[in-house]
Amino acid sequence: MTGVVPPETVPAPSTTQPTPRRHTARWIGVTVLVVAAGLVAVLATRPPAAVVEVQSPLVGAQAPPVRGLTVDGKLFALTRPPGTFVVLNFFASWCEPCQTEGPELVRFAFEHEQAGDARVVSVVFDDSASDARSYQATLGATWPTLADPRGEIALGYGVREPPSTFLIAPDGRVVAYIVAPVTAADLDSLIARAKATGA
Amino acid sequence: MRSRRFPLWTLLGVVLVVALLIGSGVFSSAPVTNAERAASIESVIRCPSCEDLSVADSSAPTAVTVRATVRQLVDHGLTDSQIEEYLVARYGSTIVLDPPASGWSSLVWVLPVAGGVIAVAVLVVVLVRRRQRGASALDDDVLGASADPLAVDERRRFLTQSLADADAEYLAGDLSDADYLSLRHRDLGRLAALGPSPASSAPIGAVSAVDAQSGTTAPATLTEERPVAAVGEPEPQPEAESRRRRRGRNNWFLIGAIGCFVAALVVAVPLFSSDRLPGQTATGSVSLSPSQQTTRTLDQAATVENEGQLGLAAQLYQQVLNGHPGDEVALAQLGWLEYKIGQQGADASLLSDARTKLTQAVAAAPGDYAAHLYLGTLLLQLDGNAAAAVTQFNAFLADSPPATVVAQAATIVRQAYTTAGIPIPASVAA
Repeated sequence: MTGVVPPETVPAPSTTQPTPRRHTARWIGVTVLVVAAGLVAVLATRPPAAVVEVQSPLVGAQAPPVRGLTVDGKLFALTRPPGTFVVLNFFASWCEPCQTEGPELVRFAFEHEQAGDARVVSVVFDDSASDARSYQATLGATWPTLADPRGEIALGYGVREPPSTFLIAPDGRVVAYIVAPVTAADLDSLIARAKATGA
Repeated sequence: MRSRRFPLWTLLGVVLVVALLIGSGVFSSAPVTNAERAASIESVIRCPSCEDLSVADSSAPTAVTVRATVRQLVDHGLTDSQIEEYLVARYGSTIVLDPPASGWSSLVWVLPVAGGVIAVAVLVVVLVRRRQRGASALDDDVLGASADPLAVDERRRFLTQSLADADAEYLAGDLSDADYLSLRHRDLGRLAALGPSPASSAPIGAVSAVDAQSGTTAPATLTEERPVAAVGEPEPQPEAESRRRRRGRNNWFLIGAIGCFVAALVVAVPLFSSDRLPGQTATGSVSLSPSQQTTRTLDQAATVENEGQLGLAAQLYQQVLNGHPGDEVALAQLGWLEYKIGQQGADASLLSDARTKLTQAVAAAPGDYAAHLYLGTLLLQLDGNAAAAVTQFNAFLADSPPATVVAQAATIVRQAYTTAGIPIPASVAA
């Protein structure tokens, strides 16, 4: 093994040098792929924001005042504490998810009207009083609907978009905040949960 | 050489730091008037129904409401932090554009600084190493025993190729005798300075290089020089040892960097995958409503009206009414403009238009205090109908108008109540 060795049979050092670098690139590639796949998995399996109860600094705190003129021009003020559960719903006639939840709110109001344990109050969000009034009339909503032309009630509740719904307990605390079209069943289960936790 | 460069780098550093300081606004004076204070607060409050836009930059209705509230709170004497707390208590901490510098959110502040410091440190180390290597290898064309054999190989290959090129150009008649000799002398000198060709230079021969000394093809010469290291058990040489150590260190750095990256992701994913606050979206899209364009035009109209450009304001209100004939704000404001202009020029048709618009505005928005105030004023001043004016002013006062508006309207309101023989309400009493 000591004679002259033809160049092509010699394992030239330069050909073995890049090996660790190639491994490195492979590892980086694999890591990035794994991380990207993990991120995609996490994001893809998250429930969409539209169907979840969201955080709000108001949950657990006393509900801000709800008073002003209704779309019919009458003065309305929510008593504090309200004494019953109150579903405070911010809506707009142009908002499609609001149109989805409208009939559910009517059903909820009807079901709880007799029992007298819960009621609905709506607040117009980023919409004209006249459009909101005709929308509520078409829907058959008979509960008070506040015009809130300057968005002051919405600001008090930190509302960013319609539909936004707050559940206020009989003692005046906000117990839930939903940014999604609610159903009567959703509201009933939220009330049951609030009752179970002593609201 | 270093002593000449040092001040330049220092100067660049000073310029950079000064530019950053000026850009960061630390030298700008603190706002003094209430309007300036409100404007500075509005610039750091996020528009509730938009993404990454301050309320100062947004014309969305929610932004308009927040701006009005901020001005009201500033007028009431609240401090900047109290106003921020007021909004955070309603919308959550995301209402402030700058994330809080506490808890997990502080990572947003710490990580870029840490990353920047690490990046600068790495850059400095790399530059210093490169300069050290360059000083010994490139400036002097001499590679000591400690130099990287790979670099020596590369240099030798380059010089050999350069000699071959010079030969070819000389044969082709592209080089003069003097130039050829000069080039050849220079490259041969440099090759000689690199020392004898070591075993690792075998591939050079394989790429048909021309031997520096003889001009003949090199493989035979080079392969004969190859020591046993290529075929036998290689003896660990100091260079190889240090190279391996360096590579090992580099690998550890790389593993550490990837580890940090993965750890940051592990922290960030659960942190940012928690429930989003209302208004936040995964895609960062801006939520729009059909009325936003209208609101923008109304804002513009109000601005130019305040600046005294009544004609332009009227055009803008009319533009809104063309799209939305029932828009109560545009009806009320344009009605009021027409009333004021009509009164100045005693234009009956303009006054008649004003009456129609204000009546429509009151009907469309019974809760709009401005429409009631305008219509009441028209009824009192134009018709002398104090009783009808009082009805409108009652509605105006019931709509809880801002104190500044009440103060401005107090005189005319009092006049209506006095003329109608009705006791003046306490809110407008002199």
